[in-house]
Amino acid sequence: MALLTPAFRLWSQWLAVLWLGVVLLVAALAPVLPLPYSPNSPDLANIATPPLGAAGHWLGTDPQGRDVLSILVFGARTAVLLTLPAAVLAAVLGALVGGAAGFWGNATRLAVPYWLLGGGVGWWALQLPIPLLGLGVAAGGLGVGLLFGVRKQRFPSWPIPLNAVVMGTATTLDTVPRLVLVVAMAAGTGVSIPGLLVLLTLTSWPLPARLVRAQMLRVRILPFVEAARAAGISPQRVWLHHALPHALQPLRTALPLSMAGLLGLESTLSFLGIGLPPDVASWGRLMATIRNEPSAWWAFTFPALCLIISIISLNSLSRLRSTLEE
Amino acid sequence: MTQHSLGKLLCTTIAGLLYSCSPQRTDTDAIRIRWSHDPETLDPFQSPNQVPLDAVNLLHLGLLEVDLTRLKYAPVLAERLPTTHLIGDSLTELRYTLRAAAAWDNGHPVLASDVAFTLKLMFCPDLPNEAARARFGFIEEITTTATAPRRFTLVCRGQSLEYSVASGDFPILSEAAIDPRRQLRRYSLRALQRRPVTAPADTVLLGVARRYRAASPDRSPGLLPGCGPYELVKWEKDRYLTLRRKTNWWPDAGLRPVPAVLQALPKRLEYVIIPDAATATLALRRGDLDVYPQMPAREYARLQTAPSTSNALRLYSSLSYSVVLAGFNTRQPALADALTRQALSHCFDAAGLLKATQMGAGTRTVGILSPANRMNYNDSLALVPFDLKRAAALLRQAGWQRGSDAEAGWVRTVANRPRQQLALRVRYRAEETLFATAALQFQAAAAQIGVPVTLLPTESGTFSASMQTGDFDVYVRTLNGNPFMFNFTPIFHSEGIGAGNTTGFNTLASDRLIEAITTAETEQRRAQLLRQFQALMQREMPVVPLFFLPNRVAASSRITGLQVSSLKPGYSVKTLVRAPQPSPAP
Repeated sequence: MALLTPAFRLWSQWLAVLWLGVVLLVAALAPVLPLPYSPNSPDLANIATPPLGAAGHWLGTDPQGRDVLSILVFGARTAVLLTLPAAVLAAVLGALVGGAAGFWGNATRLAVPYWLLGGGVGWWALQLPIPLLGLGVAAGGLGVGLLFGVRKQRFPSWPIPLNAVVMGTATTLDTVPRLVLVVAMAAGTGVSIPGLLVLLTLTSWPLPARLVRAQMLRVRILPFVEAARAAGISPQRVWLHHALPHALQPLRTALPLSMAGLLGLESTLSFLGIGLPPDVASWGRLMATIRNEPSAWWAFTFPALCLIISIISLNSLSRLRSTLEE
Repeated sequence: MTQHSLGKLLCTTIAGLLYSCSPQRTDTDAIRIRWSHDPETLDPFQSPNQVPLDAVNLLHLGLLEVDLTRLKYAPVLAERLPTTHLIGDSLTELRYTLRAAAAWDNGHPVLASDVAFTLKLMFCPDLPNEAARARFGFIEEITTTATAPRRFTLVCRGQSLEYSVASGDFPILSEAAIDPRRQLRRYSLRALQRRPVTAPADTVLLGVARRYRAASPDRSPGLLPGCGPYELVKWEKDRYLTLRRKTNWWPDAGLRPVPAVLQALPKRLEYVIIPDAATATLALRRGDLDVYPQMPAREYARLQTAPSTSNALRLYSSLSYSVVLAGFNTRQPALADALTRQALSHCFDAAGLLKATQMGAGTRTVGILSPANRMNYNDSLALVPFDLKRAAALLRQAGWQRGSDAEAGWVRTVANRPRQQLALRVRYRAEETLFATAALQFQAAAAQIGVPVTLLPTESGTFSASMQTGDFDVYVRTLNGNPFMFNFTPIFHSEGIGAGNTTGFNTLASDRLIEAITTAETEQRRAQLLRQFQALMQREMPVVPLFFLPNRVAASSRITGLQVSSLKPGYSVKTLVRAPQPSPAP
């Protein structure tokens, strides 16, 4: 099709970049933009008025009298402040655990004192039954370590099923629909922007982890990695300085897609009235007001358009590199 | 398996799937009524809001009941209104006789001993009966005689105009069902009332309380029989509650003619829980709902102008005695003084909210008494204006000081107490747009004078629990009233703290005034006291009454007999009938 020529794709992708740039700019400048109304000030004299229908409300008001334009601007800020950090954090977390799982697999071993120390501290930190037991186990680990150190004996070690743990956790998270998982967790943890950020991060890392792991499986047997090992560089250094940078390449494509997914998820949560506090402007929450006033098309259409264009742009951005290479 | 049988299996599966996915309407006779939230409990002594009360009033009967259309109390289990005898200047005797026909479902008559048992249960320890205690604490004793088991006398503390009707407005429970060994008869009502909270546990009373809780309808439907016209069929939490008309209800055989308050025409009632107003309207228009009470203003206005409404729906409206108000948690140190509460009351734009949320319908008010009640409404008081300058000035007067920078807010230092910061959490039921708009308006106004406000939209059940535990600074809700009862003990008296007095407000003066109102001997004296009470409440400002809501009901045109009322639930459910043909417009 003529529409899908490389030139058209490149043109549309630059448009996507432009749109995302505008969204970023608006998000950054939202507090200083000369908006006629704040997003949380209801104009009680103008409830659900259509665009250009009331003084100063260029895009109309929602059923609670809030200015739609202000909500769009501050909603962009919320979207950026929530989805960008969450996507980056999920990518970092996924890259670390996926990279480690791909590099070491289930073969690496850990000395027993470290096992005891880690297990004990974990037990205490998670406040499992009898937390002092955890501290006792950790102290035991330290004691065993010192004992072996004094006698200059080699520590006994147990294997770490790193790959199995990481992929098992990722698969477990993937088996539960993400929306259901986030809704269930949000119900327990309450609502706040930092809380939601943590929640989105913890539920979004499996995809980057899988991609980085798959790439790491390929990278770890490449000659330059073998050469680094043969040169006597420690496995940790080989992993961090030589293998991981090459294994991160799939994230360049995955990051915009992850952001698009998170943007959709945040809007869905806000539409359902879960997640963000009611006074935090959100495109999803603005769309939800259509339920109170079905005739207020502007309260649905404008945020929906912003959301659709942003998600399409992020999807398009993920293909920008391959288009440039063509 | 042959190809033919495989095709058959496929067709059967698809047909089965389609059948199971299609909406099932098991009972077309049921009249379906919208509820905005789950009733949470059907305990007759513990109705946190109107929704459970609607159901309790159909499952149980009291001695007297309000005739919703005439706005007067009428005898239900009682044969007639009680005769009043004043004893000296401090006691009142109310003599009741129960209807001879009044009976439980097993045919046993409703007796004075059941009334005595119910009253004693209200003061039985280890039961959630705090609201009932505050409301019926004026009944000091009940005397019954073995020779006339349907007659009894209530001895009331003080003398009041309201006693004759207030004394009969509680559901009567069956002694035989909860206390078959009649153990509670060992205790007098007065002894139970005077029993100190610190008294050692009494195994008999604890046993009765345990049996009552075990019979609670939300746990075991059917164990707590009522003598009302309906029985609980099914209650699916957050989905629906179904009631069935009893076939052997006592007035059917025992009363001719049947009084209006004892008529129950619908064979089956299904209360459908639809939190979202627009969804409920859609259900009404689709015919999945028959009655939609307390309809929001915009939904109602939309239906009024919709061309499809004229044939399919009937719209009704009337005055109501439901007031929208904001309440302050006076137990919070920052809100303990009247000046701070007065200051914050100026942050509510009642006029703007009335226009925005009710499209101008409804009435502003100076207090919790309706302006329609001209005799008792204090029209000499001024409405609280929306005035942020005045709010800031009053805050300064209350000892608050604005911090050095805009973010610091207001702080106050009180001797021997930690420094106070004025930051408020506003709690309201999440599904109500009206409350959300009021809370948002308050937040925006408070922000203008530097008071930070956090909004806490809360699910209905959690909201009720938060009201009880005082987990809020400000709330927005409605309070339902009536034109003939003015007993504010449960909601503003110190006796109501921990039950209906959610603001925790109490002063010696207000307690005395409330007691004087409940025991006023003439209507003129009571009106005078009520006006004083409204003035006191405006000075103390534990609540900010915003406006009285109008009552709006929409119903399917196939429903006849719908009589709207100013009292909640806004219509008479027991007179509803589903007609084969649409009814003409009223």
